[in-house]
Amino acid sequence: MEARLAHHFRAIETQRHAERLGMWLFLATEVLLFAGLFCGYTLYRYLYPETFKLASAHLDVFLGTVNTVVLISSSLTVALAHHFAHRDRSRMAGVLLFVSVLAGLAFLGVKAVEYTHKFEEGLLPGRYFHAEGLTAPGASMFFTVYFLTTGLHAFHVVVGMGVLVWIGVRAWRGEFHANHSMPVELGGLYWHLVDLVWIFLYPLLYLV
Amino acid sequence: MDANAAAAADAKHHRSPSAGRYVAVWVALLVLTATTYLTARVDLGGSWNLVVALVIAAVKASLVVLFFMHLWDSRGTNRLVFLVSVFFVILLIAGVVGDMATRFPLARPPEATGLTGAGEEPEGPGRDPAHGAQNQRVR
Amino acid sequence: MSTAPVPASFVPGPEDPAPGPPHYLKDGTTVRSWLLTVDHKRIAILYLVSVLVGLFLGGMFAMALRLELLTPGPTIMDALTYNRMFTLHGVTMIFLFMIPAIPAVFGNFFLPIMLGAKDVAFPKLNLLSWYVYVIGGALALWGMVHGGADTGWTFYTPYSTTTPTKVLPILLGASIIGFSSILTGLNFIVSIHTLRAPGLTWTRMPLFLWSLYGTSIIQILATPVLTLVLLLVATEAAFGFGLFDPARGGDPVMFQHLFWFYSHPAVYIMVLPAMGVISETISTFSRKNIFGYRMVAFSSLGIAFVGFFTWGHHLFVSGQSTFDAGAFGILSMFVGVFTAIKVFNWVATLYKGAISFKTPFAYICGFLYFLVFGGMTGVAVATVSLDVHWHDTYFVVAHFHFIMVGAVMMAFLAGLHYWFPKMFGKTYHEGWGLVAASLIVLGFNATFIPQFLLGNAGMPRRYYAYHESFQALNVASTAGATLLLFGFVIIAIYLVLAFRFGGPAGPNPWGSRGFEWVTASPPITENFDGEVEVTGTPYDYQEDQPSVRVTPEAE
Repeated sequence: MEARLAHHFRAIETQRHAERLGMWLFLATEVLLFAGLFCGYTLYRYLYPETFKLASAHLDVFLGTVNTVVLISSSLTVALAHHFAHRDRSRMAGVLLFVSVLAGLAFLGVKAVEYTHKFEEGLLPGRYFHAEGLTAPGASMFFTVYFLTTGLHAFHVVVGMGVLVWIGVRAWRGEFHANHSMPVELGGLYWHLVDLVWIFLYPLLYLV
Repeated sequence: MDANAAAAADAKHHRSPSAGRYVAVWVALLVLTATTYLTARVDLGGSWNLVVALVIAAVKASLVVLFFMHLWDSRGTNRLVFLVSVFFVILLIAGVVGDMATRFPLARPPEATGLTGAGEEPEGPGRDPAHGAQNQRVR
Repeated sequence: MSTAPVPASFVPGPEDPAPGPPHYLKDGTTVRSWLLTVDHKRIAILYLVSVLVGLFLGGMFAMALRLELLTPGPTIMDALTYNRMFTLHGVTMIFLFMIPAIPAVFGNFFLPIMLGAKDVAFPKLNLLSWYVYVIGGALALWGMVHGGADTGWTFYTPYSTTTPTKVLPILLGASIIGFSSILTGLNFIVSIHTLRAPGLTWTRMPLFLWSLYGTSIIQILATPVLTLVLLLVATEAAFGFGLFDPARGGDPVMFQHLFWFYSHPAVYIMVLPAMGVISETISTFSRKNIFGYRMVAFSSLGIAFVGFFTWGHHLFVSGQSTFDAGAFGILSMFVGVFTAIKVFNWVATLYKGAISFKTPFAYICGFLYFLVFGGMTGVAVATVSLDVHWHDTYFVVAHFHFIMVGAVMMAFLAGLHYWFPKMFGKTYHEGWGLVAASLIVLGFNATFIPQFLLGNAGMPRRYYAYHESFQALNVASTAGATLLLFGFVIIAIYLVLAFRFGGPAGPNPWGSRGFEWVTASPPITENFDGEVEVTGTPYDYQEDQPSVRVTPEAE
């Protein structure tokens, strides 16, 4: 399958440039979407620094680090997928994309374990917070911010996995080659953004 | 220059790097992750831990953006879009936290411990010199 | 200049009998061909119908409010209903009409044509943006029908998170509509970067496109923050997570920060395209080159960026620090500078021009007057010490209605009347056009000048009952609103009649040098019947040769 030049573009390179620019603009909106939550985190950490430290100690740093490594590695596999797609090795790209999806699944699995743990300990947002021993003002706020940011992030992981599955299937069917690999590139950009957000969430939530 | 010439120039930008470059970046990211994990376990005093963590995160993010996301060999427009978005995130946070940091004390959450002078609820008429007389009247 | 002979190609004339491809309205007549269209012009018409529904609903809510305010006590509804009415008026007008109106209707229709292109960069995304708008709008309307919210369109916490009224559908609907705005902005930016015809450099672009570019930047950067904050309020209302709850250590003012970080730039999403329309029409109807093209173009970018630095002026009396208040107050004044640059350049364009006082020009006059006075009152309320008195009074209401209705609506009507012949190939009755314009300008003044006086005298906004000394001015305001309504009804009548029975409009009834007037009226689906090359600007009335050359493709 060839990349089809749309009737309103004058050259295929212009179309590719347009697609990349469009994707970067969309990523800009995602960055600004998370901005509000980072703003909330910053504000409440500014107000309750000790409580945030205490509350953060209730997060499992080991699991958080595992998730960080998983996501970074999945970014590698996605980048390599595009690399191979661009070099006419579409099947290899497909394999790498599926590996990335598995990494995403692993990430979500770890998060599920973490969330379950939070439920058990009552470390929940707002009015559901009922942890013993953590009564300083602002404690429940840490978990509100934790659940909102990781929840929104997890939603994006799910969407990203969907995108990667779709592109992965097409790659496995041999669709991509040197003159047609934009879907892998663009889908990859979305996945890298998901990784980017986590790169900031990890230290701010787990390593306080 | 019009869209066509610009697009042709763009084609030159997109020589794909070798796979080794990606692996090297990945290794760097893992090293940085280990670094941030280890430095977090050392108490650097004040808010230096946060600063170090953010710097390391920024370096990691830059590696991902520049190499995995190809901004290193991408057009200026794409770079500008990304940088502008980051700038506005900083603007938002600065405006909001700046507000809280400079607020009249009674407009802050009373139990907030991060603010100098806040976190204590002074009792009685000595609460605020400007309002001392008023409180005495009330009492 | 005005004494140079007018080139024959720009003399208004009868429609050329054009054999060849059908125009876009006739290219496919099934419902499916409309609902699955990727033609930007058809999408623009779909948006036109939808935003007019929004305008109608918002207008009805407004009339209900004004009727209720005829007497100091209860008139036709109870207090809770009144609170719902002004909430719905705000939500409908802003999200269903004002934000999409000029960009999604005239922007969608004319941006590709003005670029010399066949469509926007992502036509399918364009259609998706309309469906997203319709879904979000339907959800919000559903919420309205089932009682609707009573929080005001600004949804301030903690009331919005604890009110028993139906906030969730409206919050979710507004969030979803935001995506439509983002997709439109994305499409426009990419189109301007990648679809300019050969010869169309940035500094030859129509100013309408510069204004859309600035608007799109705001849509991309600001709208996601709104999407998030509305979702946060929705989750807090539904689940009590406590992000803004003081009892949990939260700060309700943080909501206001996040909300206005979008909603202030949002007013520039509304006003920038309006200014772009005025740039186009003012040059045409004075048959003169726009004065200070580069300043006008760059001021659009200036407004887009500096508009982001001013949001705190909505929080002057909310407990925000005086430091922030001072900073935001000063920065808010800077934004006025860019608008002033435009106004001076427009007036300089009019000076010694060959004025053609047609209906669009009547709206231009209204626009200039309302923008200047609305804008100056904006600078006034940006002054912290004055706003302490005026905040949450009718003074602020009058200020933003001067801009929203006075400026933006006038520009929308100017654009509608200017481009109606191009979009539909028909002409409307010019006499009735001027009559309606007069009624609207008059009605507008009668509605909103009393509100400045009311606000200055201390009448608070969003109040159901008011002191009897305010009644006279309220009655005057309602009378003005009725005049406004008559004006709109008249416009609706003659435009619908023109659409069905109007005489044929030629390709260039106004004799404009704008690029869009090179196409047929209405344009064919592909916009141009050949390859486009641009050799001048859309405003160089001193030239003889057209600025756009269309070379038919070799067979």
